[in-house]
Amino acid sequence: MWAKIKNWLEIRIGLTELIQTQLTEYRVPKNINLFYTLGFVALVFFVLQVVTGFFLLFYYIPHSETAFRSVQEIMSTVPYGWLVRQMHVVGSTLMFVCVFLHFIAVFFMGGYKKPRELTWVVGTFMFFVTIVFCLSGYLLPWSQMSYWATTIATTMPTAFPYIGDMVGNLMKGSPQVSGLTLNRFFALHVTLLPLILVILIGLHLFLVRRIGISSPPFGRAEEAERPWKKYHHVSHPDGHPFYPDFVLKEVVMLMIFFALMFFIISFLPTLLLPEESNIAADPFKTPAHIKPEWYFLAPYQMLKIIPNKFLGISLQIILSLLFILWPFLDTKEEVNILKRRRLLAFFVLGVFLWVVFTIWGKVS
Amino acid sequence: MLTLLGLTTVGSIVYPLGRFLAPPGEKDKSKQISLKRSEIPAGEAKDIPFAGMPAMVINLPGRGFVAFSRVCSHLGCLVDYDKVRNRIFCPCHAAVFDLEGNVVTGPPPRPLQKLPLRVEGESIVIG
Repeated sequence: MWAKIKNWLEIRIGLTELIQTQLTEYRVPKNINLFYTLGFVALVFFVLQVVTGFFLLFYYIPHSETAFRSVQEIMSTVPYGWLVRQMHVVGSTLMFVCVFLHFIAVFFMGGYKKPRELTWVVGTFMFFVTIVFCLSGYLLPWSQMSYWATTIATTMPTAFPYIGDMVGNLMKGSPQVSGLTLNRFFALHVTLLPLILVILIGLHLFLVRRIGISSPPFGRAEEAERPWKKYHHVSHPDGHPFYPDFVLKEVVMLMIFFALMFFIISFLPTLLLPEESNIAADPFKTPAHIKPEWYFLAPYQMLKIIPNKFLGISLQIILSLLFILWPFLDTKEEVNILKRRRLLAFFVLGVFLWVVFTIWGKVS
Repeated sequence: MLTLLGLTTVGSIVYPLGRFLAPPGEKDKSKQISLKRSEIPAGEAKDIPFAGMPAMVINLPGRGFVAFSRVCSHLGCLVDYDKVRNRIFCPCHAAVFDLEGNVVTGPPPRPLQKLPLRVEGESIVIG
């Protein structure tokens, strides 16, 4: 039976050749490390979000009168509803962690450098789409946390004169966060954003394959192709096969993240669903100690300490643009960050400040 | 000619889309609200909805009644009257306003919106 299917496919799509060129004979650099697997893990977690999100839609009712109750019922009445929702909630955070670590690894290994600038830029867009995913999904349970986090996010554009109010109202659909906002965010979360992210993932993977996987800059000879004058595929003829060697590495990393997800679901179930997430949204009461999700704590703290709203939000936009356009700003040939002390100091300082602002935002 | 056709096509898509996305008009926006003086003892505040937004009336001892929008001018969280410390506080980014609505500390760019209020006999009329 299997042989017949294989033969059927062989005749039509050249299965054996496809497996050879794309998996067994496709080579990755010899010194590739575990950090190179984070993109794959993020992709799997995105698929997990799609699957768990699809099942949540069976019971979730996107209306301000019913959304909170339907989520509570998923958690308490629907058999294993808690598991599906927790996988969606914890999975989204771990997807964010993967993307974040992936960026740190790519930056540290100089993977953004010529000819991979476009791969980086597409990656940054994916990162921002992920943030909008988190933000739009955050409102859907219609809890106090979701309501007030969304109020803050949708008020941010008002820092800008003339168009700020209009943009804020377009996002909300009403002067305050309301059922109309919920509908807009729901539509965004389940239709437009997945479509955009799938297109960006396709483009990102195309670029990775088209250009070729970069190799870590540590302990290797300078790439022979430098300087890059015209397009060619970066191959690694002396490298390890993509399958099974690299795929096994990816599976190891995936298992670590899955273990972490189930550990959080089993032993720390309230870590990402604190008390305020179990209180229905009250448009007339801002909770006393409202904090955003951990990944927004650094920008939250920055907004808190900068005395001017316009300045605070403008600074965050400038930092985002720096992040997107970084490959075009750092044009030095040297890829090894350890040989570039100023860049290394900038990198360490950036990560350090992010950690400090996150902890400060949490405890302040 | 081609440009004109192109602009017409784009306009005929963008305009209806813009109108579709723009917030529909508010139906319930009563411009005046009336309370009884006895509802707010001295040193206390009462939260009220006013013109579709959260507001509050504070009875300041010796100074009478004042009304503010509760929407923080920073990022839209709702402020609360802190009678112990005699201030108005926003829990989101720790902004502090005085009892005139002026910013004391924190990132809000402007004071709280003060609402017109008058006392008519035993009634307080806001708006």
